[in-house]
Amino acid sequence: MSADGLVEVGPESEFEDGDHAIVEVGPAEVGVIKADGEFYALRNQCPHDGGPVCQGNVQRELVGEFTGTGERVDQYYSDNCIVSCPWHGWSFDLETGKHIGDDRIRVPTYDVVVEDGIVYVDGGD
Amino acid sequence: MIDAAEERVIDCDWHYQDSFTEVAEYMPEPWRTKYKDSFWEETGVTQALSSFFPTSTGDRQNYGKVLREHSNYPDEPEDPERVREGMDFLDIDVSLQISHLILATGGINADDERIQAFTRGYIEYMLEEVLDPDEGIYGLAPIPYGDIDASLEVLERVEDEETFVGACFVTAGASPPLGNRKYDPIYERCEQMDFPVVYHTGGSGLDEYVRAGYQEMIETHTLGFLESNMSQIVSVACQGVPEKYPDLDIVFMESGVTYIPGLVSRLDEEYLKRPEEAPLLDTRPSEYITDFYFGTQPLEISARNDLLELCFDMIGTDRLLYASDYPHWDFDSPSVINDLPMLDDDDRRAILSGNAEEVFGV
Repeated sequence: MSADGLVEVGPESEFEDGDHAIVEVGPAEVGVIKADGEFYALRNQCPHDGGPVCQGNVQRELVGEFTGTGERVDQYYSDNCIVSCPWHGWSFDLETGKHIGDDRIRVPTYDVVVEDGIVYVDGGD
Repeated sequence: MIDAAEERVIDCDWHYQDSFTEVAEYMPEPWRTKYKDSFWEETGVTQALSSFFPTSTGDRQNYGKVLREHSNYPDEPEDPERVREGMDFLDIDVSLQISHLILATGGINADDERIQAFTRGYIEYMLEEVLDPDEGIYGLAPIPYGDIDASLEVLERVEDEETFVGACFVTAGASPPLGNRKYDPIYERCEQMDFPVVYHTGGSGLDEYVRAGYQEMIETHTLGFLESNMSQIVSVACQGVPEKYPDLDIVFMESGVTYIPGLVSRLDEEYLKRPEEAPLLDTRPSEYITDFYFGTQPLEISARNDLLELCFDMIGTDRLLYASDYPHWDFDSPSVINDLPMLDDDDRRAILSGNAEEVFGV
């Protein structure tokens, strides 16, 4: 980690949407994920069973809406991007790290900085 | 410790042993004549029920070993006076009557109008001859949920009758299960009417709906009643009925309490792994289910005290409703609640009457 707390991940150009990279940030393993052109970073440890959550599938969150008595629940993909732990499917909002079914459960998140075409995780000072 | 006999007690599950003989008089034609010509009136409630309910493992009265006072399945049509006598016997101030016969209707898959006709007759019969708020005798209206229009007609019929204080859905046999959007109009109407929905398990098809081939009542009675309630709890919660109709009071009857913590734990475990499959839920299913109310009977008083205490903690003593299931062979008297060592007196009073006052307004 550099003096300013930034941990280098790699060139921005090497990331496609849905790609991830794993870096060490202090004692923690952190996953950097690109989704919808944005970078996110979360602790690569599922709070459920310690699984490598950031190495899981990245998708839009499927949500449903009650539209009226007797109607089918209207289901559609929201703008929210989620990552799902490949071990058991626990899924977290990439932006907030919160479990999409119970927001009291969350994975720690980190800031991502892109400078001069290089992606960094901000590990804090 | 309080003395249950000195307290107000509301019994949320009393089985009126209605008979076709009596109810048929109130049925619309052609069903009145069909029923009256079916020889049921000569064979009484036991045989009539068997006609609906032809297969059941064994004898509920344990082949002559269960001889509880007042508790039997009369061969004669029920006498409304027996309700008052039974309430005195159990020291109960208010009882909510459900139809004994309607419990068997979950086994009917035919698209005829037997259930609707029976329901209509039953309601008129109970209004005319049995229910009496001055005597503390109220009713739950059976809902022929397989027919939405008929169900809405039932609700319309009882809306202005203060003697009916809730809707009764028999959980056995419901297909699709009762969280399905098909039933939304009934829930919407119940919510508008401030009419609690009481899901009551039933023995219909006991030999079929859990494990065909069970040999004894101990097997089917342990799991059959449980399974039909659990199926509906999972459906109602996962399909978001409490989110669609947040002011609807939901009550589950007659499966004891110890299954609930196990069920919600298992359901939460599933939900956290696949929450997008229950998209109407904002949080874990357990948080909705522990907002439901639960009748206590048959309370597992043989369980370890620490297990029962944990169950009460998870469900909440403010969600438990005393229920006797009287006069069925395994009925619980109010002392079953009163004598529980892990409850304080406030809890006892809440379970014996306070919670029911809030839910049913009786």
